[in-house]
Formats: sequence, structure tokens, C-alpha cells
Amino acid sequence: MNYQAPVKTTLLEVRDLRTEFHTASGTVTAVDGVSFAIERGERLAVVGESGSGKSAMAMSILRLLTHPGKVAGGQVLLDGRDITKLSEGQLNAIRGHLVGTVFQDPMSSLDPVMRISKQMIEPIMRNLRLNREQARLEAIKWLGKVGIPEPERRIEAYPFEMSGGMRQRVMIAMALSCRPQLVIADEPTTALDVTIQAQIVEVLKDLTAEAGAAMMFITHDLGLVARFAHKVAVMYAGRIVEFGRVEDIFARPSHPYTQSLLGTIPSTSMLKSDRLPQIPGLPPDMRYPIVGCAFKERCAAAHDRCQREAPRLTDRGLDHRAACWTSHGLENGATLKADRPERTNKPFEPDGSVVVELNALWKQFETSRKMVVRAVNGVNLRVHKGETLGIVGESGCGKSTVARLLLGLEKPTSGDIFISGLAQMVFQDPASSFNPKMTIGDIVAEPLVVKARGNKAERLDAVRRLISQVGLDPAFAERYPHQLSGGQRQRVAVARALALNPSVVVADEPTSALDVSVRAQIINLLVDLKQELGISFVFISHDLLTVRYISDRIAVMYLGEVVEYGAAEEVFADPRHPYTKALIDAVPVPDPAIESRRTSTPLQGELPSPLNLPKGCAFASRCPMATDRCRAEKPALPNHDLSRQVACHYAH
Amino acid sequence: MADITLPTAPAQNTSLLAAVSALFRHRLLSHGKVRLALLILIPIFALTILAPVLPIQKPLETNLRAMMQFPSIEHVFGTDKMGRDIFSRTLAGVQVSILVGFSVASIALAFGMVLGTLAGFYGGLVDRAIMTVVDIFLAFPSLLLAIGLVSVMGTGLVPVILAISLADVPRFIRLQRSQVLSLRSRAFIDAARTVDASQYWLMTRHIVPNTIAAMLVAASIAAANAILVEASLSFLGLGIMPPQPSLGNIVRDGQTYLEQAWWISTLPGVVILLIAVGLHFLSDGVRELLDPRSR
Repeated sequence: MNYQAPVKTTLLEVRDLRTEFHTASGTVTAVDGVSFAIERGERLAVVGESGSGKSAMAMSILRLLTHPGKVAGGQVLLDGRDITKLSEGQLNAIRGHLVGTVFQDPMSSLDPVMRISKQMIEPIMRNLRLNREQARLEAIKWLGKVGIPEPERRIEAYPFEMSGGMRQRVMIAMALSCRPQLVIADEPTTALDVTIQAQIVEVLKDLTAEAGAAMMFITHDLGLVARFAHKVAVMYAGRIVEFGRVEDIFARPSHPYTQSLLGTIPSTSMLKSDRLPQIPGLPPDMRYPIVGCAFKERCAAAHDRCQREAPRLTDRGLDHRAACWTSHGLENGATLKADRPERTNKPFEPDGSVVVELNALWKQFETSRKMVVRAVNGVNLRVHKGETLGIVGESGCGKSTVARLLLGLEKPTSGDIFISGLAQMVFQDPASSFNPKMTIGDIVAEPLVVKARGNKAERLDAVRRLISQVGLDPAFAERYPHQLSGGQRQRVAVARALALNPSVVVADEPTSALDVSVRAQIINLLVDLKQELGISFVFISHDLLTVRYISDRIAVMYLGEVVEYGAAEEVFADPRHPYTKALIDAVPVPDPAIESRRTSTPLQGELPSPLNLPKGCAFASRCPMATDRCRAEKPALPNHDLSRQVACHYAH
Repeated sequence: MADITLPTAPAQNTSLLAAVSALFRHRLLSHGKVRLALLILIPIFALTILAPVLPIQKPLETNLRAMMQFPSIEHVFGTDKMGRDIFSRTLAGVQVSILVGFSVASIALAFGMVLGTLAGFYGGLVDRAIMTVVDIFLAFPSLLLAIGLVSVMGTGLVPVILAISLADVPRFIRLQRSQVLSLRSRAFIDAARTVDASQYWLMTRHIVPNTIAAMLVAASIAAANAILVEASLSFLGLGIMPPQPSLGNIVRDGQTYLEQAWWISTLPGVVILLIAVGLHFLSDGVRELLDPRSR
């Protein structure tokens, strides 16, 4: 609706761009002959996994590559001028004035010791040739537009006085304030919660449309692409493998990689009993030259020609190009495979026995200034044998604290925790969850050694069995964590968690650090283990589509309280708490048709501080239907024996 | 079941060995700075070790018929006012330097590791007690502190080593503590805690092995620094006392005769310079090699 291309003129044209990184272990061709164009006012999404070269490409366009990266060839024409041939001085003028940038990490891209005013006003003065007073008014105007409350006051704030979402808004205001014609945003919402992400995306979309700026949006989230983009470029191993209009890409993807990516996302329409299709294998090692198509090892439709020759982008209809030798990619004969299609994600059948019970659990932390952070406020939860409980909520809602309490890593302030058997954990960040000096074998064996189970030979057997159980070759026992990919490390984390035959495994964001194509592999693994071993899972995530797929029950948390609880299907199909509704609403769905029909406005505001909790309903400050009663009286969650509970005065 | 025991001290030794062998795996010898350092240090240290069998005058032997002689084939660095061979005395001084450097680095490493680990790991009262003392020591410049301590403990090799170590230990505790603090919050510690691993296990298996690399670098810097401090103390007449030679007191002896016999002070001074430069290149190179970002 906002998109009215005035005249179709090309703003940015990239021709055969090549970027190389010269490292000690060889030359990595991160961007390998990429060509595309962006028209004025157009929003292009660049999609790809880590290592696909999408960020290196953006940095090459801005000429912001740092050592050892180097643009090795090609042209970048911005408004007809070749950027690759400009001097550093000319470039600086372009970066502020013609091109604005928003980076992923709002924590590190603002100068921590400068007030926002200083960081914003000077570039505006320089680029728009205004005096200090005018520039200040302009900066305040933009801060207001991106949704910073009280911009006249907040402009004098330091970055550390703002939340992540607020800082990202400031970044956007800075990028747009110099009236760029092109905005390059590299994963601008990845570090943010879904509700904040939804707000930021709306702001970016409206303001670029208002200013008539074009935008290049780099992401790995296909849901965001559907919500946001006019055109899509899919990158794999340094090349664009598919390019086209967003409706075409989602409705008629013709490259097997695009088709696979779309297939691996748990969608809202998917039956929970269906097994999640997964892309086998890993992306190629970019240090070695790739012969033939880079995707051939992971492609079910690969044939002889793919082994020998790399396909070029060819026309597939209106504005739609794909780099594949086949005409339609994966066809009926060679569909995307679930690894073991005979398996299903069987719904949970309760046999009544409770494995985990949390009763009136409270946890408060004292800060160094004697303030009390109330992280968990009276949580009652039960997990039955073989059941998966999903806990969702924004960061700061207390879901990770509940996990740590459950594992005994923190002591509750009051309330009790009952666990029949042992609880084990799979951590979020596969990079920091292993001791880098230990081999995989030692890591998996550690729980056995600590608990003095078996002798050395028996433990060795156990380690081999555990490592193969999670789908790795037992030879991995000899390797070190840094030699493994993210997905492999997460499998090892699961193996370690299983070593002592736990009755419940707590997984805190186990897939959020993984690439889309690997994510499905880990989810399928967890589903298999749950059925083979009868283990219960507590699955904590902000990725609502995954939680819906994997969980039997869902608990929605807000400010340390459970506000809604029920069967996963029911909660998603019929959310009753206004917060649950807003949360589900904020999730971008990988379907442009649904996204374009979306009318509701995203949830406004941010989480109140857990230092100073409201007296009434915790959600009242952001709730569209809050009344005086909500602000005065706290709604209670009904008896936890009920299968469906909602803590709201007005929703039953 | 009985044969399962917690690994004790050897675990630490093997990881130290592992760190050193990792160094060699990362092409220690092909690193430019390291090569330069070894090119300087190896000849000096080799001569020091070979000194007893070299055909030179003994360091304490005087020869009143050959006083203040200009460097020659017989006396490579010349002779001093009592006809002692300066080359021989310099080599004996280097021996003292190496002993001081190595001892100080070992003492600082040992105390720093133990106290720093305890302070960082346990926090609370233990931390406050250890760090209060550390902060008091850190308030003084290390040379001044060493001078103060030597004047209390007296001169000679052992007091000098102790004085310099006492000035270095607080720095090592600080470094180790900060490493432990950042490791303590890593997820693999939590993972081990969920299986009820003992605190001893956490420290010896997970924390200490991950701190060794940085501590070794700090130790090599401390060794270089200790050699300079010992030379300074001896130069000031507070360290090793004549007639026992040390690089510092040889330079001090010669300074009165700078105009008549410049070589007495200058040549041992050059050796101090070479050792200091060599050790700094070495620790710089080791640091670069151990830094994961440079791999």
C-alpha cells in the first residue's frame, strides 16, 4: 500500500561483485560474482545463512570491509557513480548522505560515551547543511518519528540509558535523518524480541516509504521477508541462487535451496504430527573451490551436470531468476525429504505421572544498590512424563530464571520444586557451553565421571552410544568443540544432557543460534528422543512457531508470571490473554499473502522494569483493553489443575 | 567403581604441557618475533651455560698485572680495576639474571594462580580479603616496593627474588581473578554444576586449564621485568653484593671509570639491553600466538 514506485529508475546496480577474505588458512571467496539492481523506493531482502556472504556483500557495497576482506572485482553503481573507484573522502560523503546504515547490534554501534544528541546532530549539520539549532530540531523530529517517547528529553541521554529496542530506534533515526536514498539494514531486528521487532519493522517500512528511500534488508528470517520486502535475493555460498518478487519467491520458488528453506520452517498451517522436513548436510567450506553447483550435496534433484558445471541465474518468468539446471527445482520425484519420513511427531498421551512440579515459585535478586529484581513471581507449573512444555515470552520475562531454578543453578526465594529423577540442560549458545580444552568424548563423559558411573571402558562405550544416538559419528569423540559446526555442537550438548538418563531435559533457546537449515535437524532430533526415551522436555524459546510445533503444552510468561497456559494447539488457535494475542500477532509468518492482509497494529511499549512492578495486572501498561480494575487489582491464574488457564479479568 | 578417582594435580600438569605443546603446534619457531628473540637469547644463554668450561678467567679471579685492559682476544670484554675478566663476570651475572627471572616468574605464577582462582571463584569474603591486600600492594610502583622490601630483608640473591616476587604476585592475582570471573559465568560451568560436580572439579578441570595461556604470557613478561629490576637493585647497591657478580653491580663498578675504561660498564649494559629486548620479543610473540584472534 505504501509502495508507489514513482518512476522505475535504478538506484543501485551491482555488477559481478567479488569479495575475498585472505586468511591464514586460504582465500575465502565470500561473494562470488553477485549482480542485482535496486530501484528507487524498492525494498530488497537478502536472505541467506551465516557464511552465505550476505553481510560481506553489504559491507562491500559500502566499502566498509575490514582487513582481511577485499573487493576483488566488479562494479557497484550508486546513482550512476561507481563506488569502487571513489576516494575515501568522496565515499564518506556518500555513506552519510546517499546511504544510511542500520547494523545488527544496537549495543555496539552507538558510541557509549557520547550523548545521542552529539551523535545525531553533527552528521545532520554536515549532510543537510543546517545550523546547530535546526539540526537539533531535525534530530528530535526523527526520534519522535521512530517512536522514542519524549524525544526532546531523550536526545540528551547516553546509549546505556536506553533499552536495546530504543537504541535500535535511535540507529534508524540516525540512518534516516540525513535523507539517504538507500538504507542498508543488516539483521536490524535479530537481537530484539518479537514484539519489539514488529514495532521496528513497521517503523522502518513506513519511514523509508515516506522518504522514498530504497532499502536493502539482510536477514535470515523468512517471516520478516514476507512482511517487509518487495523483492528477494536468496544467497548461498557467495552467490545469488534465486531472485524475484516476494510473491513469486514464496508461491513458486524454483531453486531447490529456496524450496528447502521454505519447507523447513514450521508453519502455522502445518499439522503437528507431520515430521519437519530438513535439509541434510552442511553448507560447503568456502576455503576450497567449489566445482559445479554449491548446493549439489544437499539437493535431492542433483544430477550429473550439477557435479560438473555451476548453473548461472536464468529467467524464470517475470523478474524471476534462479540458478539451477532443473526448470522447477525439487519436483515430485525429488521432494525435500524428512530424514525419517515414517516417523511422526506423535501427540503426547498423558499417563498421569508428574515429573516436574513447581509450586508458588518466587525468585528475587538483590542488585548491588540494594534494589530487588523480582524475576519470578509465583509460578505454578507441572510437566507430565513424556510431555513437552513450551515456555514463551519476551526477554526479561523470567523464563530463563525458571529454567535455572529447575536445574538447581539458583535457589528459589520461596516455593518448592519437585523433580522425579534428574533434570539436565541444553544451553542456548553452543559456543560457550563447552570447555574449549576438552574433547567431545570428555565432554559427554563428564557427567558419568563426576557421578562415578561405570569404569573407564564402560564409560567409553556409553560415550560412543550417546554420540551416535544424537546422529554423529562416534569418531567425533576425538575432536574439540571448535572443530564442530553449530548444529553438531548442539547435538553434542544433547548427548551430554542425556548421559545420566534424565527424566526431564530443559532446553533454553536450543535452536536460536543455529541457521535455518540446521534448526530443523535439531528439532527432529529432540522429537525423536522424546519418543524413544520417554523424556519430558521444557522447551524455552522466543521462536513461537518452533514452540508450537514441538510443545504439547505452552506457558506464556510476562514479568515473572504465567499469564496463559494450555495445550499448544489451543493457545495458538485461540489465544485468550491479550498478551498472548499480541505475541502471536507479532510473529512474522513466511507467507506474503497473509502478511499483506495483516492490519492489526503491533503491541506498543516495552516491558516495565522488574525493579518496580505495577500493583495490578503486570500487562496493564501495554494492554489495549486495560481498565482501572486491571491497574488496581491483579488477575489471578486459576487453579493449576485446569488444562487451560488465563490470568486476565476480561478473558474467560 | 573403585577405580574412578578425581584427577588431582597431574591434570593441571598435563594441561600446562598441553598449552606448551599447543604453542609449538602453532608454529612457534616460524614466528618472526620469536625467531628474532631466540636469535638473541640462545647465544647468550648458551655461553652462560658453557662458561665453566670456556677458556676464560674465573669471574672472581683477580690479576693485578692486567687491570683496566681494553677488550682483546684474551679478555673479550676487557678487564676491570682489579684485573677481573669482565666477559666472565658478565656471564656469571647473566646466570644470576636467569635465576632471578625464572624464580620470580615461577613464584608469581604459582601464588597468582592459586590465590587468583580462589578469589575469583569463591567471591565474597575470600575475594575481599585477598583483593584488599592485593590493592594495597598495587598502590606502590614495583621497583619502589622492591627497594623497600630489600632494605627490610637485607641484600643477596634470595631477598632480591622474594622482593621482586612480592611486587609481582598481586598483578598475577588480579589477572587470574579477572579470567576466573569471566569463565565462571560460562555455560559449561553451569553444565557441570547441573551434575553436581564439586567445586574442586570445576576449578581444576574447567577453570584453571582455560587460564594458563594468558598466565604464561604474563609470566614471560614478568621474567623480563624481574631481570631489569634485579639489575636496577644491584646497580643501586641494594641487590647482589660484590664480589659476587650481577649485571647491575658490574655496571655500577664501572661507572666511576667511564672516562678511562668505558667498556667496564658499557658492554655488560649492552647485554642487559639484549636480554630485555629478546625477552620482550619472545613474550610478544607468545602472546600473539596464543591469542585466538591471530590464528
